Amino acid sequence: MLAYGLFLLSGLALGALYSLGGIGLVLLNRATGVLNFAYGAIGAVGAMIAWQVLNWGGPEPLAWAASIGAGLLLSLAFGRLLAPGLAHREPVVKAVATLGFAIALLGLMNLIWSITPRSLSLTVDKQSVAVLGVRITGTRLLAIGAGIAITALTGVLLARTRMGLMMRALADNREVASVLGVPIRKVETTAWSVSGALAGFTGLLFGDLVRLDPTVLTFLVIPIIATTVIGRLTSIPVTFAAGIAIGIIESMLALYSPLTPFRVAAPFVVAIAALMWMQRGRYLTFAGED
Amino acid sequence: MTNFEISSAKVEATAGLSVRRHVMSAAILGVLILLSAVANGLWLKILTSVAIYTLTAASIALLYRRLGLVSLAQVAMMGIGGWVTLRLAHGTGLPFEMNVLCGGLSAGLVGMVLSYPALRMRGLYLALVTLMAAGGFAVLINVIQFPNGGDGFTGFAVRSVAYMPRPLIAQSDPAYLRYCAGVTALGFLLIRWHETTRPGRAWAMIRRSEACAISAGVNVTLYKVWGLALSGFLAGIAGGLLAGNLQLLDARSFPAGESVLIFALTIVGGAWHWFGAILTAILYRLLPAFLNDIGVNGNAAYIIFGGALIHALMSAPTGLAGQLSDAAMAIRRRLKRGRT
Amino acid sequence: MKRHRSTIIAAGAVLALTSGSALAAPKCGLNNGTKATGQPIKVGAVVGQTGPDDFSASAKAAKAYFTCVNANGGINGRPIEYLIQDDQWNPEVAGLVAAKLVKDEKVVALVASGSFVEMGVNAKLYAAEDVMSMAAACAVSECFESKNIVSTNEGPLPSSVGAAQWAVTKLGSKNVICIGLNIPSVGQYSCGWTEKYMQSKGLSGSSILMDPASADMNSAVLRAVASGADTVLVNLPAGMAAGFLKVAQEQGIRDNFKWISSTPLYDKAIPGILGDHWAGVMHVNIELTPIEGKGPDATNWREVLDKYGTAQDKRDTFSQSGYLSARFFVDAMLKLDPAKIDRKSVSEAIRAIKNEKSDLLCGPYYVGDGDRHMPNHANMMVQIAKDGFKVVGECTGVDSAYLDPIIAQEKRLGIGK
Repeated sequence: MLAYGLFLLSGLALGALYSLGGIGLVLLNRATGVLNFAYGAIGAVGAMIAWQVLNWGGPEPLAWAASIGAGLLLSLAFGRLLAPGLAHREPVVKAVATLGFAIALLGLMNLIWSITPRSLSLTVDKQSVAVLGVRITGTRLLAIGAGIAITALTGVLLARTRMGLMMRALADNREVASVLGVPIRKVETTAWSVSGALAGFTGLLFGDLVRLDPTVLTFLVIPIIATTVIGRLTSIPVTFAAGIAIGIIESMLALYSPLTPFRVAAPFVVAIAALMWMQRGRYLTFAGED
Repeated sequence: MTNFEISSAKVEATAGLSVRRHVMSAAILGVLILLSAVANGLWLKILTSVAIYTLTAASIALLYRRLGLVSLAQVAMMGIGGWVTLRLAHGTGLPFEMNVLCGGLSAGLVGMVLSYPALRMRGLYLALVTLMAAGGFAVLINVIQFPNGGDGFTGFAVRSVAYMPRPLIAQSDPAYLRYCAGVTALGFLLIRWHETTRPGRAWAMIRRSEACAISAGVNVTLYKVWGLALSGFLAGIAGGLLAGNLQLLDARSFPAGESVLIFALTIVGGAWHWFGAILTAILYRLLPAFLNDIGVNGNAAYIIFGGALIHALMSAPTGLAGQLSDAAMAIRRRLKRGRT
Repeated sequence: MKRHRSTIIAAGAVLALTSGSALAAPKCGLNNGTKATGQPIKVGAVVGQTGPDDFSASAKAAKAYFTCVNANGGINGRPIEYLIQDDQWNPEVAGLVAAKLVKDEKVVALVASGSFVEMGVNAKLYAAEDVMSMAAACAVSECFESKNIVSTNEGPLPSSVGAAQWAVTKLGSKNVICIGLNIPSVGQYSCGWTEKYMQSKGLSGSSILMDPASADMNSAVLRAVASGADTVLVNLPAGMAAGFLKVAQEQGIRDNFKWISSTPLYDKAIPGILGDHWAGVMHVNIELTPIEGKGPDATNWREVLDKYGTAQDKRDTFSQSGYLSARFFVDAMLKLDPAKIDRKSVSEAIRAIKNEKSDLLCGPYYVGDGDRHMPNHANMMVQIAKDGFKVVGECTGVDSAYLDPIIAQEKRLGIGK
């Protein structure tokens, strides 16, 4: 029984990471209709810059700021300079275009920071609490806490503020929203900035908790997309819950040895199963866009 | 969406002159055969890769153009075709053609399974379901590995590799290039045949409106499933050819990201023109190999490649093939005007 | 070695006369200070430079050594033209670049290749064209089980078994758990033979294999705890190993186990990354002798890199190994008639390499005509200290049934210990 508890907690910590990544993706998709494949790469740049700052002896708050700032700027640059050129294209084309950005960023990172083992260590790593014999570090608590806080915050933002209202309008129907006078550019700029800042923050946590390797961090976006698929790319609370669930399932599979080697596939299998269940009985004949 | 329909109509109008199309494809095949005689070792390999991935790109373009479906799992489909091909080659000693055919059919079956979600979703959601499938495949294949001559169901053992034999008539690299080009050409003919007969008409109606298609008595489910199966089959064949090219496959060649990348390049190449698939394969395999060959640092090449991808998606909505075809048409028009 | 030394003395005299900067001058090939100007001899290398890890250090060291040789008389007057190709960790690209080197450039041999994918893909090409690859940075089983590939480094199998062997004799380990990659030709190959080693001694061994893309290190740590082992063998690439050890530190399980690792953790950056927590606790197996060694080859390797390499070239095990591959290759070439250097004579000369010694290696180096090669199968142990590494285990031959065909081969060839 204790073993179950251990792996459950461990899965919670992993799930918090998936959730945090998923929330940023959904937020951006809701406001701009872009599923950002470069989210992992943007986070990785943030984490690498933070490492560089710490390596030069900079203070830790500066490293955090640099990571978040770099994420914000990169995301904003893509959103303002490149994304408008694709605004009239299908969602899929917009999404795959961001893959180009991810590849370019990955190349850039590997050019600047030659490949060598690195690790990030933050002050929050040193604090920890013991639950059921598993030690949970401050960084993991931060990831879980941030996930909950951001889910709640975005819920309030979308439901209560004017910006949130406009974002929802945009997500529902761009043409109608623009006719109604929603300042599309302003809303999109906000969304790209917030999502980029989140990418920087998440990237730093990933770099600390997973490992500081641009290639790994860049392609982690694919399992993270699984959480957003379950949230149908729109629901932030569902995405959060999906991330946690996937993390727990992936971790618990370590207890059942025939499936242990396949457990990395958990995000994909869970996403497909959830989607199939949600779509059961639906038949797409007279349906609209999606 | 509308500009696609307009351009597709335009393409249909011009490419309706199927004589010109056959002449051009025969010319491309001829050039390849000529090249296979003169190209050196490196370029033989590059052109073989291009020929193989042309078929994969054509399988993606077929789905996108005819049914408006996006598959982000075609490289995984190649992996399935390649796995079955290798398994049979090591297990049964059947001729190459049989193995590849079985590989293609297996991938076609998996394509049919994908039609389950495809009947319920489309657009980005469907694309993401296929991406999830591709992600799952990458993990699965990393665990079971490609057959390398070992025993048991997986045909894999930790030991030195046994190489899969190539077709009897195509043992050497130049002959294998001609073989792959020939198979790809057959694949194109198969697609063309479908497009000009009943399935093509059914797909065209489904693409316009499914309601319309149903009222006209088209069995939407059947033709959608058939389209996905055909696309999977072609990608599976390409996977079999890839296995024959290296005479082995490596699990690390099939991450989900590659499937997304080749889809993106299919859009860049131009899904609306039949030769877009060739341009896609050139971008996917020849361009990086060329950059590597002239000594561009691999990471710098990533930056160039990523930038070019975004640029092409932004600037050419109908893909490079569309731009080329527009340019050709403009020239022709000018020539005509000059004559009168 | 004797021939080597006499040329060194002669060349030293020449250098002292001509340049006056002969004090720390590296010694290469003929070492006569004359630039080689004859017809170039083409030699190739395939390295995995772009991708999840950079495996180019071996070829960079070989390049520096060849540059030095070319400035010092070349191969009896003929310079070496060294062509390094990047396989980008992609099997297809590995096939392309090897075709370019072997078929188009017609290289006489490949020297100091380092890759994860290249060897498996190209072993057949090398055998068909009968070109030898004197690799230097191999990580997969295919590399050690092919007729035309011989590597100077050991790969993960002797390194992990060697670590376990040391832990059994020196730390009294009874139950080793091997943490490896779930890539069969790396993880199963090395962890599998480690388990077999433990069983052959009547002890127990088990493995936990992890997906390289996994974001989750926690469960591997928890499974290690649950395994009942007394010793953890970390057999992962350095970046992943650091991630694993970080989680182990988080969980505070250091003192419950003895800690050993295969070579990847022998990296200059590692003591700094792991910090004080692991100093004096983690023991790392090394495939070649220590980087700061004082022997003639160890010194020469550093000097060659300082003078002919760049400051960015890594000074690590793979770099040592690449230097050695290049030196053994050059020594074999110097025995040939320079006018008759072609692929056939070169492949023969490489197969004839026998009982070459170096202070960088624990045992003798040889090639021979066997269908598999693993000349280097004795290794050392170091301990991670606060700011570096400390030798804790001298050269020991690896004890594994895997080596039986290799030992039989050595007996046949008359390789002496």
